[in-house]
Amino acid sequence: MIEFPRETQHTIPTSHVKIIGLGGAGANMLDRVALDGLDGAEILALNADVRTLNGSVASERIQLGRNLTKGLGCGGDPELGKNVTLEAETEIRMSIKGRKIVFLCVGLGGGTGSGGAPMVCRIAREEDAFVVVFATMPFVFEGERRRQQAQTSLNELAVLSNALVVFDNNRMGELVVAKQGIHEAFQAGDKMIADSIKAVIRLVTRPGLIHVGLDELMTALRTTRSRCLFGSGVANGKDRAAKALANALASPLLDKGALLRETASLLVHICGGADLTLYEVELLMQKLTKQVPEKAHVLFGAAIDESMHDQLSITLISSLPEEKLQEKPQASAVEEKPILEPTEGFGFDQEAAESVIAPLPEPMPVLSNFSFDIAPAVAATQEVAREEKPSASSLPEAVPAIPASKSAFADPIAPVEVVEPKIASPFAEPLAAAPPSALPADFTSLIPPKPATTLPAPKLAGSIPPPKNALPGSAPAAATPSPAAAAAAEIRQATPGRKPIFGAARAASTAPQDSPAEESTEAEASAARSTEESAVPAVSKMIEKTRAKHLQEELLLEKEQLGRFAGTDPTIEDGDNLDIPPFLRKKKK
Amino acid sequence: MPRAKIHVGLEIGTSKVCMLVGEVKVDGSVKILGIGTAKSAGVRKGEISDYVKVRACVEDARRKAEESSDVQIGSVFLSITGNHLVGVNSTGTYRLPEREKQIHAGYLKEAEKIARGIHLTDEQVIVHQSPRLYRVDGFEHTAPPVGLFGKTIESDYHMVYGLGTRIQNSIKCVRELSMEVDDVVFAPIAAAQYALYRDEKESGVLLIDIGGGTTDYVLYLNGAIAASGCIALGGEHVTNDIHMITELQFTRAETLKIREGHASGESSHDVGGIKIPVDESGFTHQDVKRELLNAIIRERMLEILNLIKKRLPAGALERVGSGVILSGGSSAMRGLDQLVKEVFGLSVNLSTRLEISGVQANFQDPQYITCLGLIRYAQYLEIEKRRTSSPFTKFWPFGRKS
Repeated sequence: MIEFPRETQHTIPTSHVKIIGLGGAGANMLDRVALDGLDGAEILALNADVRTLNGSVASERIQLGRNLTKGLGCGGDPELGKNVTLEAETEIRMSIKGRKIVFLCVGLGGGTGSGGAPMVCRIAREEDAFVVVFATMPFVFEGERRRQQAQTSLNELAVLSNALVVFDNNRMGELVVAKQGIHEAFQAGDKMIADSIKAVIRLVTRPGLIHVGLDELMTALRTTRSRCLFGSGVANGKDRAAKALANALASPLLDKGALLRETASLLVHICGGADLTLYEVELLMQKLTKQVPEKAHVLFGAAIDESMHDQLSITLISSLPEEKLQEKPQASAVEEKPILEPTEGFGFDQEAAESVIAPLPEPMPVLSNFSFDIAPAVAATQEVAREEKPSASSLPEAVPAIPASKSAFADPIAPVEVVEPKIASPFAEPLAAAPPSALPADFTSLIPPKPATTLPAPKLAGSIPPPKNALPGSAPAAATPSPAAAAAAEIRQATPGRKPIFGAARAASTAPQDSPAEESTEAEASAARSTEESAVPAVSKMIEKTRAKHLQEELLLEKEQLGRFAGTDPTIEDGDNLDIPPFLRKKKK
Repeated sequence: MPRAKIHVGLEIGTSKVCMLVGEVKVDGSVKILGIGTAKSAGVRKGEISDYVKVRACVEDARRKAEESSDVQIGSVFLSITGNHLVGVNSTGTYRLPEREKQIHAGYLKEAEKIARGIHLTDEQVIVHQSPRLYRVDGFEHTAPPVGLFGKTIESDYHMVYGLGTRIQNSIKCVRELSMEVDDVVFAPIAAAQYALYRDEKESGVLLIDIGGGTTDYVLYLNGAIAASGCIALGGEHVTNDIHMITELQFTRAETLKIREGHASGESSHDVGGIKIPVDESGFTHQDVKRELLNAIIRERMLEILNLIKKRLPAGALERVGSGVILSGGSSAMRGLDQLVKEVFGLSVNLSTRLEISGVQANFQDPQYITCLGLIRYAQYLEIEKRRTSSPFTKFWPFGRKS
């Protein structure tokens, strides 16, 4: 047999990669990358302050603002930072020319960094490079002004760059123990960024058994205005696959893996020495798939790198639209707005949908499945409502449906005008009270591995009486704990005399005739379809709201999970109740 | 004239009450005359929470011990544990008066008194104090520097203090059964008397006693206690974790833990699942994945060990020459030795000593170590009492015993 080496796949030579450090913070990151050793990639330092620039270990340095600042820094003025960068534009352009991929390291908040970064980014894009920006956000104690400067710059970068990886300095505390020195904290921050850069470079430059390259990287990061989720871990020794994954998920950027549950596509790159086994890869992927949603597009890559020796590294890259990162605090603000009275057109539709759904979570014993079901139901309601919009005559019909639904849940039957604001307020309050720390965690993480609750769909079939007559049927339907059933009944109410159009509505209508198993699957299937198809932002926002609500309920539940140790002196260490199984605590984080 | 003396050790543990009757012979050897154990009730995390139940358990254990040893038990050495007990190191510095050059025993007492002046609340009392090290003008002595010349004496002490009321309550519980309490001993210190050899203490050793409700540890460096303490986590927590996550009943979770659990975290032990068939108690058939079970156990054990590691003084582990010794019922957990090795990076021994006569096989179990240690402790105390006649060596003996 003739052995022949596998064709090395076309990769980007390291000479096509350029790493740029801009400003003081950028220079620090760059030094860390350079000192940790990076074979081949070119390193360029840009700074207005000559002293810092000369202290940099970068092979290539460009002084910004020779005439404008004359070797001094920008003094925290982004405008000046922008101008000095523009002054050196041709030099920068020459340096970037012909590079396929450019990493820009920058600390936002100051002058050179905040002002210059968007300019450098634009120049690089104009030179047809793939630009990945690694930016750090200032500490809170640095003041509101710097924060705003950073935010402005970040917004520009989000549009200009191909990928944006943001490290919040405030999270640096997670990297080191509080007692450790400040220099160590900064070092740890720089090191993490350096590791990230190296991991991305390794990913695009090394030939792979299962290759991933720029195209996959772009797929994983392709969403406009998104934040990059990034985690990378290296481990060796026994059980290295699990350890490496744990390290990767521990990245503060992933919020301990919680943010991965929202992601749509994920790039996984595994790199190991010659002894990388299939078993390890399989084990690792098995563990990882538990962290991401089933629908997520997982781009898998593996490579053998002899220089890794007995180590195994895993890199996770994904992105999340910015609104998903921020929407949770926003959601509560939106809800506090009381619904005064129905208005025409779309505005009404949304609020009607909201108020129909709003009271639902209150009497809900079936918690863990709640948001799965309610989400499509919302979408369905939305669809129904929109369908109705053209015919003005159907509007008044929809209005009485709201108080009817309300009365089903809360006993006192009140006139429309009084009820409406009430609907809004109980919903908004618990949300506002929800601890902000709990918000980023995803709801699925809180569901115990084996939820004792049953699926709501069969319940729907079992407990719902034939809803032939919409109004009398609504009360018992609401009394059932299943949200899907209640929501479906709601829809029937909202569309009297109309053919049920979509998803859950159809499920409700078929409920009495079909066998429980059949209809539950159908309801789920159609529900899934409806979620995919509803791209209305209001709906996704509403889903988030219900999720946030869901979170809080679960937290209350968790407090009681002490088993035998309920009621004893709690053993508290570092704010953790040690009587709760570490297995669960770790998952929550 | 010394003569054979009978001592009784009593341990009121979270999972069992154990009373051990031992005879210390003239030549210093110990013979176990009898033992009485009873399943414990009303004890949580090493502390008594239901006195009525505990009294019944102790009474039961006593009856069994008296029957098997044919001795009427009048007084016991009681081991105590619990989260409230804390071990600290404290230094007392005493400067000799002018023109006084030689160190008298009285000056050492003064230094000790100063060392005892650690900041305690009104409720806290010192349970143990043992000298670690003496320094005379900066020069270290491991033996009391009585008779030496010097200007300043520094004595390092290891103190164990706890809540006085809780200790009193434990004593009261025993007294109500018309038994006297000779002394109370912090459980890991008692266990160390039996489980550790002198040369191990000299070279440095860490004893971890993982019981039902608590995990106690004591660290010996250079023959003296360097750290000790108690963490209110133990084998019951493991059972509880299994119960909560797999929703198995407590009894089943306990059996599963003992029969199937493996703490090492090696993936080879994670293969497959365990089927728990329908049994006479009427529980339904259940399946548990080994991977899940082992992960639950491992997480808990890892946490306990890491907590201990965190509480040890900085740099102490590098000075441990004789590794880690495990005792207590939960130390029988499979794979624990590997896990301990992984956390501390030290060699691991399960403590099984054979220098006590009696029915050997009965006392090999690591769960009797604290009780056996109590007898040993009593023996040392006895020797100490005899020694007090000589004025030079009236100091606490731990580990410094010849």
